[in-house]
Amino acid sequence: MDHPGRSPVLTVDRLGVRYGSHTALEGVSFQVDLGELVAVVGPNGAGKSTLFKAIGGLVEHTGRIELGGVHCHHRADHMLAAYIPQRSDLDLDFPITVRQVVLAGRRRFLRLGQRMNARHRAAAADALDRVGLGDLAGRPLGSLSGGQTQRVFLARALAQEAQLVVLDEALSGVDHARTESILDLFNDLRACGTTLLVATHDLALARRRFDRCLALNGRLVADGPPATSLHGLALEATFGSGSLDAVG
Amino acid sequence: MLRWLNGPYQSEFMRHAAAMALLVGVLAPTVGVWVVLRRLAYLGDAMSHGTLGGVAVAHLAGISVIVGALVAGVVMGLLVALLERQQRVSEDSAIGVAETLMFAGGVILISRSDRVGVDLSHFLFGQIVTVDEQDLLINAAITTVALLLVAIAFDDLRTITFDQGHARQVGIPVGGLGIVLTALISIAVVVSLDTVGLLMSVAMLVTPAATARLLTNQVGTMTAVAIGVGVSSAMGGLTLSYHLATPPGPTIALVTVAWFMAASAVRGMHRYRAVAHPRSTASPP
Repeated sequence: MDHPGRSPVLTVDRLGVRYGSHTALEGVSFQVDLGELVAVVGPNGAGKSTLFKAIGGLVEHTGRIELGGVHCHHRADHMLAAYIPQRSDLDLDFPITVRQVVLAGRRRFLRLGQRMNARHRAAAADALDRVGLGDLAGRPLGSLSGGQTQRVFLARALAQEAQLVVLDEALSGVDHARTESILDLFNDLRACGTTLLVATHDLALARRRFDRCLALNGRLVADGPPATSLHGLALEATFGSGSLDAVG
Repeated sequence: MLRWLNGPYQSEFMRHAAAMALLVGVLAPTVGVWVVLRRLAYLGDAMSHGTLGGVAVAHLAGISVIVGALVAGVVMGLLVALLERQQRVSEDSAIGVAETLMFAGGVILISRSDRVGVDLSHFLFGQIVTVDEQDLLINAAITTVALLLVAIAFDDLRTITFDQGHARQVGIPVGGLGIVLTALISIAVVVSLDTVGLLMSVAMLVTPAATARLLTNQVGTMTAVAIGVGVSSAMGGLTLSYHLATPPGPTIALVTVAWFMAASAVRGMHRYRAVAHPRSTASPP
């Protein structure tokens, strides 16, 4: 979807990803503009995580990905995007503090063996303040709630100075009040120029709180405002027949 | 009591043994922290056994066993990667096959060689009381290098272990540091060779770190506690073996397990109190 006059942060052109003989994604093309809040929906196995990993430079792909107008040839070119994995993909009981997680976002500015200096520590502290967790910097990550954990990863993305943040199932397992609070934070971040792509299974939430919705099922089925991309045939093409009853 | 503690160390060979135990007590748990956190305990165990192949070849060729052990570590890593390419062979199966090949090969090479002239049990169970000054210097040098490597890569190892995807994204050389970690495990096994032997080097590699994990919530403090457990086990085990006339290697290994059981009991009591008196007890680590 082109937006004349606005600069695309992300351009995906004919993206394809295969795992062995299995095609996870094929011919996916879209653009995302600065400050957009985009939901990515689709059934399990639709390729949402694969799309996010490709944007983060974590899987081999065909086609073209541009971040900030720069064609991503090498992994280093993907550093403008911060990939936040599903919580189930991480060991959240790992012995690490909130501050240490966020400081890891600053690593892109260092060489091997180089230590974090006061500037990096200040940037990490600032990122934590922006997500409202400045007081919890010294706490073990495992002692935080699901919503707080997502905020920590958002702070890491801010410390990384990422223009684009891709969050895989960021709101799964987070209760209603904390979900709303995180969505408010998304809005604060986009107001400051951060662009967010969020994979979600909650179609009602996608309709209510997102600017735009990408419906995915191995290919891009629909792309547009939730009012159009989450209705009728597009929904059925994404989730299969019977989905209209299931999602209302 | 003081005499009981000092008594064994009146002779030079026991002082050499104590210095060697200290080196192992520091190095193996420092590397072991990453073995435990990355869930590589089986790989660590297999590498300690598989190293025998490299040690045997090095002895036959008349070169340093350290070089032999390091090469064995790399060869084992490559073998595992090669075997894993078979789609139906999982990583642990590949490790098991590679371990069998290198351990069995090492045993046969040593047992068939007249030239080596050493007892197989020296490698398998260690002979800490035969350590001389030259052994100490060599092991101190490689321990220093290994500790420096861990110190330099500490933050990156933590990031890779916690979130490999993020580590790749921010430019940390994930593959390169994986090779460094494999080399560090080999070095820790070599340094443990005289103290506890290849069969029980995993005791110094894994048990102190696993004990520390039960008690701590940060990698830095986990490393410090693991070193404390490692050094006290090595020194305590050596002293006990002198008084009880037991083999030093297995005695040291058993002391590490005693620490682990004590830490498990402390952790269990803490959790019980937290459940029974949720308001009066701080949250467990």
